[in-house]
Amino acid sequence: MAKKGFTRRQFTGTAAAAAGAVAASSFGAPYVARGAEKVVKLGFLGPLTGEVAGWALPGRNACLIWADQVNAAGGIKIGDDNYMVEIVSYDNEYLTDKSLIGAKKLVLEDEVKLVLMLGGTDAPAAVQFFTKQKMLSTTLLPSDLTPDTLYHLAPAEVHPLYNVTGVEWLAENRPELKTAAICAQDDELGWPSVATYLAAFEAAGIDVVYNKYFDIATTDFAPVVTAMLAENPDIVCLDTAYPDFVNLLCEQLFLQDYKGQIISCTLDFYGRIIEKTSTEFLEGLIFQFPDFDDPAMNEPHINFENPNEFFVNYNERFPDAWSAVTWEYPAIAEMWRLAAEKAGSVEPMDVFAALKEGGRGPHVFGDADWWGEELWGIDNALVGNWPVVQIQNGKATIVEYRNIIDWWNKHGELLKKHTAEQG
Amino acid sequence: MDTVVQTLVNALMQSSFVALMAVGLVLIFGVMRVINFAHGEFYMAGAYVVFWLYAQHDLPFFAAVVAAMIIVGIIGLIIEQLLFKPMRENPLGGLIMSIGVLFILQVLAAVTFGVGLMKHIPPLYPGATPLFGMDGVSVPWQRLVAFGIAVLLLIGFWLFLKRTRLGWALRACAQDREAAALQGMSINRLALIAMGLGAGLAGAAGAIMAPLVRVYPYIGGPVIVTAFIVIVVGGIGSLEGAVLAAVLYTFFHTFVATYLDGTIASILGLLLMLLVLIVRPAGLLGKGEKV
Amino acid sequence: MRRSSRFWATSGGLAALLALLCALPFLVALYRLDILIFMLINVILAVSYRFLTLAGEYSLGHVVMMGVGAYGSALATKEAGFPVWVAAPLAAAFTGLIAFVLAFPLFRMKGFYFLIGSFAAGEAIRLSWNRFRDPFGGPGGISFIPSPEIPLPVLGTVDLSADPRAYYFLCLAVVIATIVIFYRLERSRFGLTLHAIHWKDVLAESVGVHIWWYKTFALVLASAFAGLAGALLGHYLGTVNPVQFNLHIMLFVLVWVIVGGTRTIAGPILGVAVLTIVDQGLRGLDEWRPLFYGAILILTVMFLPHGLESLPRRAAEWWQAIRSRRRPPVSEDEEPPESDRPPPRDA
Repeated sequence: MAKKGFTRRQFTGTAAAAAGAVAASSFGAPYVARGAEKVVKLGFLGPLTGEVAGWALPGRNACLIWADQVNAAGGIKIGDDNYMVEIVSYDNEYLTDKSLIGAKKLVLEDEVKLVLMLGGTDAPAAVQFFTKQKMLSTTLLPSDLTPDTLYHLAPAEVHPLYNVTGVEWLAENRPELKTAAICAQDDELGWPSVATYLAAFEAAGIDVVYNKYFDIATTDFAPVVTAMLAENPDIVCLDTAYPDFVNLLCEQLFLQDYKGQIISCTLDFYGRIIEKTSTEFLEGLIFQFPDFDDPAMNEPHINFENPNEFFVNYNERFPDAWSAVTWEYPAIAEMWRLAAEKAGSVEPMDVFAALKEGGRGPHVFGDADWWGEELWGIDNALVGNWPVVQIQNGKATIVEYRNIIDWWNKHGELLKKHTAEQG
Repeated sequence: MDTVVQTLVNALMQSSFVALMAVGLVLIFGVMRVINFAHGEFYMAGAYVVFWLYAQHDLPFFAAVVAAMIIVGIIGLIIEQLLFKPMRENPLGGLIMSIGVLFILQVLAAVTFGVGLMKHIPPLYPGATPLFGMDGVSVPWQRLVAFGIAVLLLIGFWLFLKRTRLGWALRACAQDREAAALQGMSINRLALIAMGLGAGLAGAAGAIMAPLVRVYPYIGGPVIVTAFIVIVVGGIGSLEGAVLAAVLYTFFHTFVATYLDGTIASILGLLLMLLVLIVRPAGLLGKGEKV
Repeated sequence: MRRSSRFWATSGGLAALLALLCALPFLVALYRLDILIFMLINVILAVSYRFLTLAGEYSLGHVVMMGVGAYGSALATKEAGFPVWVAAPLAAAFTGLIAFVLAFPLFRMKGFYFLIGSFAAGEAIRLSWNRFRDPFGGPGGISFIPSPEIPLPVLGTVDLSADPRAYYFLCLAVVIATIVIFYRLERSRFGLTLHAIHWKDVLAESVGVHIWWYKTFALVLASAFAGLAGALLGHYLGTVNPVQFNLHIMLFVLVWVIVGGTRTIAGPILGVAVLTIVDQGLRGLDEWRPLFYGAILILTVMFLPHGLESLPRRAAEWWQAIRSRRRPPVSEDEEPPESDRPPPRDA
């Protein structure tokens, strides 16, 4: 008996010591700004744990790097003052109630001046609170925008609107392709994207012969691919799927001997997909995201400082934890910094005014327009050119920049129709 | 026709690892009466071991699979000794312990290996072969390897249970713990063996699937749900039932997912399971619970 | 005489607790009220869950029942135009009805089969919300759910969801009603019979108790209250979606009830309150939080196998042991049986 009690106590002691060590090493000084300097806090509200964490935690980490870079360069210059930046994060577990608690904590207790969010199902209640508080907030999903979300911006992603550019390019350059099969993940990323692809295919005169959703808990993609290939499509469209799903779907397409055209929203780490399949297999695939360490990302119209260096820094500090949206959070934070310096204030409504001034803003892929009234009822998404990217000789290559609003002006009604049908 | 055969192939490949998860869970539940919610995290841990040893440190794939079995088996032993054993008379306590373990293992995987895209584990045998000259049907090599290992492990496990004294004792204990104790068997010792084996098999399942699936800290969830469904349909005390149910459920799910869609397949799968339990409240091969 | 002095002590304690609960919204910072509101809603969930387990079966479908109420009330207000005051009780009754239907297949099962069977039934319902966008809205769920309003003669209409304090008191009232109802029920003949079924169901049946009806009534009533809790949640947040009712959340309900203790009604309440505070306290740890939460669960169950509710008694024992300069009785083997509930069959 005594022995048993001893074991248990010993275990507890070890656990407590380990816990203390962990706490000391990982929650210590690095994020806290120094001494008497002025500090401005930015909030990060998203899932840091759980299944959706891959879409937010890497972004939070990227923001920490961004904050360190800004602070190392002397902070943000507002008038005569220098502000140090501090990122305060709250894990909302992708739940609506936790999100609301986190929103109130960040705004009322931490007094942050901007809240970065992933967006999606966790957002509505929190964003409603931000609007009431006149707090500036951002999302990666413009489908979160409504006429009531006055100060909620989608400054980086205009998902899924830009997907039309890829289809349009394909129709012009490979007119012999006549049928398409779409598989999509069954969630708030997949649905609006399907509507967009359906509209784009219809505008291009391509028949959709298969269009089904798969559960986001899917672990085996063989059945999905088998069902699509049974229809013998010219084009397989992977819609907007989690990067891991794109990876596994491509592998299955390869294994089930598909040889036609593939179009996808993303193709993260395509080198790894090539390693699992072959260079010939992936050749000609169309998607929408250029390489972040691509030299072309250093061109002057790109509004992101030193993207190559940022990519390297990130991978050094958080090895093997980069994801599709990682760069979008610091891109937004940087956009906010420029606007704050321009406004001469960090107050949310001043920065908001500076951001929206003139109806144009510095999007990552070049200056763009604040747009969206016709689709979401509010001009809070930054929409402009978007690159069409193709795999050529195993390398992502920007084949053309196309204007999203041009497409909308021609085929907007189609998108409205399909959006209404998809619900 | 090709589509039907391809779907059969898809289902067969998938069923083997589900069976591997289920037999381990049946053993643990049978001997210890603990509902081990952390079983999915054992699977996850096995997959990470393969990533660590095979993808990061270039160990041979098969060695990495064996290592995964051993390492996860040891994790199981530690958990049994420290957490489940003191809870022997309090199954709800064991359940809470397993939930605690689930959280801890998820965080450890997330902070050790990072949360981002899935881990890159290139298949040892890339590519596929057409099935017996049917051009429209392909059998991926790596899946075939996974299938082979799973079947070998299942056969080995079955022989161990049927042909050894220890296996006999485990089965006796799984069927009637009190009677086994009366026979002078040490429940603590049997529980250790059950936990080591059960966790090891889950680790092996994760290891063989690692090059085929998304390796991520939270992959245990859907897997544990499938495993629970399978062991209930099969009948809790029955290892044969677990294998049978794994095959039936996977075939059903794969066919519905191919011809309708995945969410409908999950809904219908759950309803089918309820139907089985209405007709046979103790599962297909279960013996009924003692009252 | 002794009994009456104990009665006064208990009443005094409860009155003080009630006074504290009423004063709380004016003491804590306004933005922390949300935590208390969700905590109260979870108390309804946990207390009703414990009632459902009195007859010995543990369910994994309770959180989905909460969702049935949330979705039901959302649709009744948004699509059918009912006021919240009508829709929420209606949704609760509807949840009870669903539970009644489910009782037919589920109560053929026992122990672990019941546990997984109830999960299957619930998950099938939850996946249907995900799959059928009309009317459930799919993965994004339903947004812009109307909030409860009180028309006042002079002040005009008061929107309760817009005022956390008002909503807190609404939830508090429902919580008190819930606790009183379940407390009284457990003490009634009905509750005693449930306990009896838990101990020996064959024996109970042989003396003429219709076990199925008793278990079903417990399930229906508990589910109806879970549905009510769901309605309260949905109308406060203004949005519901399938993720809020998944297995992960159900595990938390199990954790609250078991870590709190199942012997008395105070157990689950204590479980929710303490673990909510613990969870909030750990928020600063960001992605490390679940690790510490898990460790706390393990340590609690290890040192307090009968839950937090047994803490006062254990503390008294330890104090006694220290005073008599003996080692405290750590091992559970030496412990006198304190639970009047046997462990559940197999689950």
